[in-house]
Amino acid sequence: MSSQIHKIHQQLVNKDITCTALVQEKLEELKQNTNNTVNALLDTLALDLAAKVDTKIANGETIGLLEGIPFGIKDVYMVQGTYTTASSNLLKNYKSAYTATAIQKLLDAGAIPLVKENCDSFGHGSSSENTIFGAVKNAINPDLVGGGSSGGSAVNVAKDYTIFSIGGDTGGSVRQPAGYNNVYGLKPTYGRISRFGLMAYASSTDCVGPIAKSIEDIRIVLNTMSGQDVKDQTTYASADISQDDIQTSDNIQTVGYFKNFIESEAIDAQVKSDFLAVIEKIKAKGIAVKALDFFKSDTLVSTYYTLAMAETASNLSRLDGTNYGNRIEGDTLKETYSVTRSDNFSEETKRRIIGGNQVLSQGFSDEIYLKGLNLRDQISENFENDFKEVDIIISPVTPSTPPKIGDSLKDPLAMYLSDAYTVGFSLGQLPTLTIPQGTATGLQLTAAKNNDELVLKFANFLKDII
Amino acid sequence: MSKIMTVDVLSSIKGAQPSETVNKLFEVIKNANTSNNNSFNNNHNNAVSLDNLRDDIVVNSPSAEKQIIIENFPKEKDGYLVVSKVIEE
Repeated sequence: MSSQIHKIHQQLVNKDITCTALVQEKLEELKQNTNNTVNALLDTLALDLAAKVDTKIANGETIGLLEGIPFGIKDVYMVQGTYTTASSNLLKNYKSAYTATAIQKLLDAGAIPLVKENCDSFGHGSSSENTIFGAVKNAINPDLVGGGSSGGSAVNVAKDYTIFSIGGDTGGSVRQPAGYNNVYGLKPTYGRISRFGLMAYASSTDCVGPIAKSIEDIRIVLNTMSGQDVKDQTTYASADISQDDIQTSDNIQTVGYFKNFIESEAIDAQVKSDFLAVIEKIKAKGIAVKALDFFKSDTLVSTYYTLAMAETASNLSRLDGTNYGNRIEGDTLKETYSVTRSDNFSEETKRRIIGGNQVLSQGFSDEIYLKGLNLRDQISENFENDFKEVDIIISPVTPSTPPKIGDSLKDPLAMYLSDAYTVGFSLGQLPTLTIPQGTATGLQLTAAKNNDELVLKFANFLKDII
Repeated sequence: MSKIMTVDVLSSIKGAQPSETVNKLFEVIKNANTSNNNSFNNNHNNAVSLDNLRDDIVVNSPSAEKQIIIENFPKEKDGYLVVSKVIEE
């Protein structure tokens, strides 16, 4: 699909539509929607901003490309004065005191925030069922999960309720729901976009990621949000990616794929044969394809979850009901902490906090946590070596199609294992894009660190050949 | 300190018990082959250069931000946060 942002921009400039009418229409669609994508509507703010855009246009002033474009925000980003619940009981009445850098940059460019979107609580989940707002329903088949943790964001884009949405990806939380709902979702290189104002889950892999219906819209939003930020010292300066930069893919000569992903017993037969058909089409275009060795899926999943749980146990220790949150009073201070956390965290969040504290404890940290860090180093080294031989790594997004609503909550191990194809790229901090082509849940395209441009280039190339 | 801290105390979660599902993940790590290099000896290039560190100065929050922080207090009295009395153990 072509760029929605360019199309709406032109309609606004030509006065074919007003921004107010556009925003009203989208707000109404979000209000009526039965997919449980909405945690809170930002209607007053959105309509105020839309009126300002209309005034500018009426006065003959020029407007920027993102000015007046309605978008959605996963409910883990701070937007000053709005509720930011992380879909949790603990923060159900928490108001952001400030605005996340990535979101502020979009607001500065004139984009209009419509909605705080449903997701797994604190990003803990792969189905958007671990939420106090009701399970997010898949855009294509509402009996299936919306994917997670940025499920509400992907469904809103797929249903055209938002033009683009901003998700958060720690182990696949943008890429997997994008795949489940047949839209584009990018996890940029770690550090390209500031995490300031994104509620921390696992800080060493947390990434801000755009979800949209075209590569061009992903490019526009990525450029707007990128850049060094003194408030997140892991950020780095990056050059804008121009539209021309990603039109030709002449410099992509070799593509790799992990043969153990495809030879795995867990992969759905149709996903496998569709993936192999894509490989043949790439070869037919004269691009060399290399089968690569990689770590076993259970090692990847276990390494990711070990480190993510350790980090989330630490990050969420601040949530004790003292300064904010749904405090439940106990007889003593410690009792207050304990009752507040026990009664307000979901089972999945508690499982991850407890697991994290387990691996960080004396006696366990050496044989589990430090070993996990060691494995992560090996995984990163493996990627570095791979990208000396290939330009792009292509893989399925998930081993199988989305589960039915309810199934993931019954079997958390199956849910963790369903992240097998996404978590490795997170541990490597690499740029990875889900495209809605190739298999039922799309394809992931990955390049070396800081080479987000190459991923978009190859996506453009595949758009025409698959 | 020799006191043993159990996961329910460490997590401030009542009755917390290690999960069988999570233990299965940890077993995989225990049995995985790791290189002989200790992670901490590896050269991680994640450090921020001295030139890029932010200035070590106090920046006062704008009043709108302070007002919302106060609104978020679970218990408030005369503009102050009310906390449970700390009892020495």
